[in-house]
Amino acid sequence: MVDSKHKWKAWLYLSPALILLAVFTVYPIINTVRLAFLEDYSMMKAISGATFEFGFGNFTKVVEYRNFLTCLKNTVLLCVLTVPISTILALLIAVALNSIGPLRRFLQTIYFLPYVTNSIAIGMVFAAMFNIVGNVSSESTRIVSAGIVNNFLGLFGVEPINWINAGSSYWANMTVMIVYIVWNALPFKILILLGGLQSINKQYYDAAKVDGTSRARTLWKITVPLLSPMLAYVVITGFMGGFKEYSSIVGIFGETMGPPGGKGEMNTIVGFIYQSLSGAHQGRASAAALILFAIIMAVTLVNLQVSKKKVHY
Amino acid sequence: MAENTKVIMHEKSIEKTSKLQLVNNVVGTFFRYLFLLIVAIVVLFPFYWMIISSLKTLTEYRLSVPTFWPKVVMWSNYAEAFTTANLGTLFKNTVIVGVVSTILSLVITVLTAFVFARLEFKGKNALFAALLGTMMIPGELFTITNYETVFRFGWLDTYTVLIVPFLVSVFYVYLLRQSFMQIPNSLYLAAKVDGTSDLKYLWKVMIPLAMPTIISITILKMMGAWNSYMWPNLVTRDPNMELITNGLRNAFTEATSGDTNFPVQMAAVALVSIPLFLVFIFFRKYIMKGVSRSGIKG
Amino acid sequence: MKKKLLCVLLIVVMLATTVSLIACNNNGAGNANFVVPEGGYDGSAVTIKFYHTMGEGLREVLDLYIIEFNKLYPNITVEHSQVGGYDDVRETISTEINVGAQPNIAYCYPDHVALYNTAGAIVQLDNLINSTEEGIGLSDEQKADFIQGYYNEGKQFGDDLMYTMPLSKSTEVLYYNKTFFDANGLTPPTTWDEMEALCKRIKELDPDCIPLGYDSEANWFITMCEQYGSPYTSATGDRFQFNNDTNKAFVKRFRDWYQKGYVTTQELFGAYTSGLFTELDPKEQRCYMCIGSTGGAKHQVPSPDAGQTGFTVDIKPIPQVNPSNPKVISQGPSLCIFGKENPQEVIASWLFVKFLTTNVDFQAEFSMVSGYAPVIKSVSSLEGYTNYLNSSNNIIALATKVCLQQENAYYTSPAFNGSSMARDEVGNLMQKCFTATTNDVDGFINQAFIDAVDECEYNS
Repeated sequence: MVDSKHKWKAWLYLSPALILLAVFTVYPIINTVRLAFLEDYSMMKAISGATFEFGFGNFTKVVEYRNFLTCLKNTVLLCVLTVPISTILALLIAVALNSIGPLRRFLQTIYFLPYVTNSIAIGMVFAAMFNIVGNVSSESTRIVSAGIVNNFLGLFGVEPINWINAGSSYWANMTVMIVYIVWNALPFKILILLGGLQSINKQYYDAAKVDGTSRARTLWKITVPLLSPMLAYVVITGFMGGFKEYSSIVGIFGETMGPPGGKGEMNTIVGFIYQSLSGAHQGRASAAALILFAIIMAVTLVNLQVSKKKVHY
Repeated sequence: MAENTKVIMHEKSIEKTSKLQLVNNVVGTFFRYLFLLIVAIVVLFPFYWMIISSLKTLTEYRLSVPTFWPKVVMWSNYAEAFTTANLGTLFKNTVIVGVVSTILSLVITVLTAFVFARLEFKGKNALFAALLGTMMIPGELFTITNYETVFRFGWLDTYTVLIVPFLVSVFYVYLLRQSFMQIPNSLYLAAKVDGTSDLKYLWKVMIPLAMPTIISITILKMMGAWNSYMWPNLVTRDPNMELITNGLRNAFTEATSGDTNFPVQMAAVALVSIPLFLVFIFFRKYIMKGVSRSGIKG
Repeated sequence: MKKKLLCVLLIVVMLATTVSLIACNNNGAGNANFVVPEGGYDGSAVTIKFYHTMGEGLREVLDLYIIEFNKLYPNITVEHSQVGGYDDVRETISTEINVGAQPNIAYCYPDHVALYNTAGAIVQLDNLINSTEEGIGLSDEQKADFIQGYYNEGKQFGDDLMYTMPLSKSTEVLYYNKTFFDANGLTPPTTWDEMEALCKRIKELDPDCIPLGYDSEANWFITMCEQYGSPYTSATGDRFQFNNDTNKAFVKRFRDWYQKGYVTTQELFGAYTSGLFTELDPKEQRCYMCIGSTGGAKHQVPSPDAGQTGFTVDIKPIPQVNPSNPKVISQGPSLCIFGKENPQEVIASWLFVKFLTTNVDFQAEFSMVSGYAPVIKSVSSLEGYTNYLNSSNNIIALATKVCLQQENAYYTSPAFNGSSMARDEVGNLMQKCFTATTNDVDGFINQAFIDAVDECEYNS
């Protein structure tokens, strides 16, 4: 097949994609790298004629930020928690869905719904569901409305929890974010895993049935290995997206990226990039983007290594 | 004799297990449905909330104790969402941009995926890895640079600017490449022997076999056109060039008097979601088939 | 061989595109010191673009007055568009400035102007205002007609030069439940001390209530700085000066109010304070006073369901530290003009800005539709407008009226790139200090102030 005829043909077929990518992706990336190494670069100042020296100042400035570790921690935590939870949940749902007859299509359609709606609008709805109305943090606490989620938990005797309001704890905030992100991520994952399940040969399961293998064992020993390409795909893309979490946090907490009085407590690296951009610190934003890129790259490589060992074809 | 007993014993145990399995199955099915229904409720609840919010008056929406059902059902919010925004133009633009960009994007994606799946040349793997790498950079950073570029090209306020910059998606190339790679290579070699050209083979064999993936890419791309906000808002000022999402969003932002009419905005979001939802219902089968082939291979 | 060549050619083309894009750097035109050309506007045909955040109703008013404007200047075409909210306007313009594609006129907040100005993109207005060319400058009467506090907002950039013109303004006022006040013989407070006593009294009358709701913590903080005369920010030198003892003292005092259940804010309460104020269900919690923007007046009126009785709402200025030297915030859009290569475009933009800000009819009509206050005093000479202001049962008109009565109390805070960051941080600081559960309140407040200043300095 390695035939010189193909070489130029290959490049010819690739050319539209490569030209567009060169202009709208590669060039911006090069530009990002350039700005990241210009000390304290600001677009506005550049227009008025300022010049900037080459250096690593932007990177040190990013790392020196007092909340940089918070951003990093939130980014990593959100990713590390939501990807496995949503993957496992999606797997269970897909397996259950695949094994039932009636209502299957109907349920499948319902599960797809979150995929077609605007995430900021639904974020507002989620925030309303977790919202407590009342002066919860004052000595004269009186809860006017505990929110739908707390009302529901109240049925099981759980005291109202301050999820996202002033004075709420870090883990309460984190829980809401995880619920919301998982909710948002489920449709795509269910779709892919269900698609994968439907292409698995029924014979494997018949064999397992004859052997009297337990359901859990069947899931673990047959389904998971056979689904491993889709699982790997879902996990890897999940991590790539998860490290760029931003708009879901804006959906719940607004641009302050935290509960009232806790501005920035839920901030992430992409959130920091936006914050720097709106303060006209393009150099700093570019440096942060490169740092994020390095992190995602490292994690993806590890993921790929693991999947090479574990994925069965 | 001994052999006989063995057989019988074995039969008994099968009977036993099948009874157990039956009970197991009934209970299992019950729990499966229970689980699925609970998940369905969790998934649906925010939508319920969105719909009832979209039917409230602004005053009711602003109440400190939220109501579970609107006191007065304001269907007029939907009418307002519909009329305030210039919906005809918005639909027309979105459809033009959606259709054209989907067709062009498919052509490019198919060619690119074909190269990466079937042709051999030096540095192919390195190039593909580099392309995948670009997926890891937050795209927001490209915005300013890309804005400069399209400005220099003189593309502002044209359909071109809404279509061209995002024609190539590494993600779609990746999806389709996976799908192409599942088509046995022997078919290709046979075609080569017969003297079929690459493009003919692509058109006659690979595209039909990869149809489900192509359809799901089509739908994803259409959804992208439908939901895009940031870029269109930046590059179009002419109201005749607006797309559905920015048209709808701007229609309800009344910043001068400090109010957003949230119920009407919710109504708008619900309205915008309906066509996408219908698309999913009608094309569910193809979408399912398409995504099932997207596993990682090679 | 040919094919190899083609292949090489393709790569070269792609690289060339990339490199040429990088190499090509552009320059925006700085117009910091605009000189009015001899003869002023020469009547040439120009098109000016105007970005704003107006909703449909206001756009209609604007369209009507563009027609009026064109009767005076038929060759100036005004194209205007709504660019989402204020943040969208800022984001869009700061991207456009990069390539010189910014509009001619835009709605602005002071910190936006400071941002655009780091690129030297804003036209400094003094030469235009003082121009002696016919029809260009502002006459002394016109200057005097502006409400001084609003007009001075254009000069808050640290160099005493004029950068923006006010278009339409709002302020904070005290809405109170007159029915309840009358029934219990209470009088609305004029000082914060009176407010504290009043809250205590109301809390005795209705232990379940929160007497006062305050919309915006940031406004509260900044206004208190002004009322005490303690530093907040400065446009020059050391910018973030709000970490001082006076400010810590009032934060501590208001924290105490919050903890006693005297006061709440929108963010801390988790719902609109106007909703708390207009609550009619006797079982529910309510407030009897609400400090909020005059722009939101229409939300401060109860809408009784069947079987409920509403109450009368009255409006007073907000409490003061020193009633003889009142200070109250002013908010709302101003207009700024961007530099362009063609001076006639700048002149035309100025003529339009001048028209909008000095035209009595436009100011009146815009005020009636938006619920914001006009920026010139002569509007009150219009009979229709005075009738509107005095119309009974119109809360929006009443709010505007109270807004206009306080013309001497408006202050402006310094604007610079990062001033909105300070605003966000002090708002957050108030929320944090009010709700903190700690035994060492002073230590906590100290640390919160240090953190807020740090954050401002990093991001400015």
